[in-house]
Amino acid sequence: MTGLCVTGLSHVLPRGEARPEPGCDPTPFLRVRKNRKFMGLQDEMAVVVAGRALQQAGLSADLGADAGLYLCSGYIPFEEADLQQILRWSLDDGRFSMARFAAEAVQRAHPLLTFRCLPNMPAFHISVNFALQGPYVVTYPGAGQLYQALELAAAALLEGRIARALVVGVAHQQNFLVRHHLARLEPPVPPEQVRDAAGCLVLETEAAASARGAVVLLRLGALRLEYDPAAPELAGDASEGLGAAAPLVYLSQACASPQDSPGRAEPLHHEVAGRDGLRARSEWWRG
Amino acid sequence: MSARRHRVVITGMGAVTPIGTTLNELRAGLRAGTSGVGPITLFDPATLATRIAAEVKVPLSELHRCDDAAPGQLPPGAPDLRWALRDRKVSFALEAGRQAMAAATACGSRPEGPGAASVGVGLELFSMEDLAALQRPGFAPPAGAARQGFLQTPADLCARMLSLRHGLSAPPLLLVSACAAGTDALGVAQRLVASGRRGFMLAGGTDSMINPLGVAGFCTLGATSTRNHEPQRASRPFDRRRDGFVLGEGAGMLVLETLDGARRRGATIHAELLGYGCSFDAHGISEPHPEGRGALLAMQAAVRDAGLTPADLDAVNAHGTSTPKNDPVEALALQRLLGARCSAVPVSATKSLIGHLISASGAVEAIAAICGMEGGYVHPTLNLDDPDPACDLDHVPHQARVHAQRYVLSNSFAFGGQNACIVLGRAPA
Repeated sequence: MTGLCVTGLSHVLPRGEARPEPGCDPTPFLRVRKNRKFMGLQDEMAVVVAGRALQQAGLSADLGADAGLYLCSGYIPFEEADLQQILRWSLDDGRFSMARFAAEAVQRAHPLLTFRCLPNMPAFHISVNFALQGPYVVTYPGAGQLYQALELAAAALLEGRIARALVVGVAHQQNFLVRHHLARLEPPVPPEQVRDAAGCLVLETEAAASARGAVVLLRLGALRLEYDPAAPELAGDASEGLGAAAPLVYLSQACASPQDSPGRAEPLHHEVAGRDGLRARSEWWRG
Repeated sequence: MSARRHRVVITGMGAVTPIGTTLNELRAGLRAGTSGVGPITLFDPATLATRIAAEVKVPLSELHRCDDAAPGQLPPGAPDLRWALRDRKVSFALEAGRQAMAAATACGSRPEGPGAASVGVGLELFSMEDLAALQRPGFAPPAGAARQGFLQTPADLCARMLSLRHGLSAPPLLLVSACAAGTDALGVAQRLVASGRRGFMLAGGTDSMINPLGVAGFCTLGATSTRNHEPQRASRPFDRRRDGFVLGEGAGMLVLETLDGARRRGATIHAELLGYGCSFDAHGISEPHPEGRGALLAMQAAVRDAGLTPADLDAVNAHGTSTPKNDPVEALALQRLLGARCSAVPVSATKSLIGHLISASGAVEAIAAICGMEGGYVHPTLNLDDPDPACDLDHVPHQARVHAQRYVLSNSFAFGGQNACIVLGRAPA
């Protein structure tokens, strides 16, 4: 065992889930309401899962400088309508025209487009809404890199550099640009597996959780990462469609639906084998 | 998850920048105060408000001295990822990585233990021409490997190509904390080596946003200088007449290993990476906290992590973007950090020479700081003709200053309120 435990855990799968899932409205968690206009779906999902996990952990929304954020953002999302709007005013005889782009498309593009797709924006929105001023790691773009963030969070806790960590994975997958990417892989990610998803866990040392009387949901038994950059481009595993959120969604679903999971005496295992050559495995014991 | 602490040193550096595509060229440019800014040539900026940038002047074909084009250098069966070289930042990273590893292994051996890449990387290249082509009736996207780079080039390939090229067998890190990413990549790498979780790291940052969408995006935000008529005078951090940053491009990669390991194998040590701190502003999406709260937190954390106090700092490589909002806040945070010593600790801004390299900026600026420590000088801040009274620091305007340094603080602050700082120390005797 690592001496680390989970005291808050949540996920959202806002579209197309077979069974009902909680919605994805960040409004209850917004400290600065005017920031809503800057938020894309990835930002909304990140704030929602962070807020719910913190509530479950019994922590306030004022995290301060002794909490850290360890977040993995999925591939940069762009909706086709936004791109078409730019393209429409950039074409000259069917070809991209820089002159038209500069003179017309730039003026007509949605001014907040940039804010809504940048991969570090979910981290910004979590920091501002939960007053998180501590250290961070923002990785990209898949489950393997979520595991990297988790490993760094664990190290920061064990080395005493932070009191608690929010580990967040967020992937806005159902958009033109990400679908384009996932479809061109060989073999492609099956479209029916591609989902928007986010998950968050609150990680603490068991000593800290015990000291504040927090309910322990999971204990981190083991964490292992391996890498082979020369690995052939094989298909990822079945959770590939959830991108960076896959490990956390698995844990959250397992805790929320114990009847679907192994017995309480059995550990939960999660494993990813990414196309990037990164393999990761974690073992968790129920609290 | 060991917390044991090794001293971490830098034994290799590589740089691809607007003022040089070798370390020696960069060093000479820094010392001389050379500007890399000029009119945009990579595409026709037409009537965009900003039509200047700091471009890497050498054609990509010349940069591929490395290179993955030589299949014999790759492990058998390794995927062919050369299509990703379409993206300038991938080429920059490979060349800077090649330089850094060549320098680190010049003594005849590799750093000890399994290595890993840690890369701060910018947004994925998106091609408007490809998007337009997709709309044309009968157009078929390219087949085979080239299809993987059509429309958009995945940014995560950079770390994989570096890993393949240099036999890095430990999991890579890909960091996307925008303008802080390069410094974060170094800081996280330092922690991994210091704790013994990685043997060595090839760490740094790479970026190129000098493309239609990139430049237009910054124009829309009003973030970039529009001093198109005098490009070399456009990047002017801390000057009263600054009007925004100048976009740059490039890469900086450094090899980090333990001091003990470097000594055992007789490697040349350039500097020690002593401390790292990062923080959130938790304030505004595009403006820093007005009192520099997050910046100060990160600087204090880096100094504390280095086992030093602010009184030990001999110089500062500022984030210094040349934007109206950022420079006074950074100056205020430095004033609060340094106290009365504020008027005696030289501060310089590399962006005045090479522009803002976004995700690569922290890594290249760390290299600039190390060059200064090794050479006993602080490079100049160009165009600082009339220092803004709101930015009252010990500036180094126009010309390099001879100044011995043991400890240098290097700052990077990102759009979105992420702040990252490192403390570098002169190479141990």
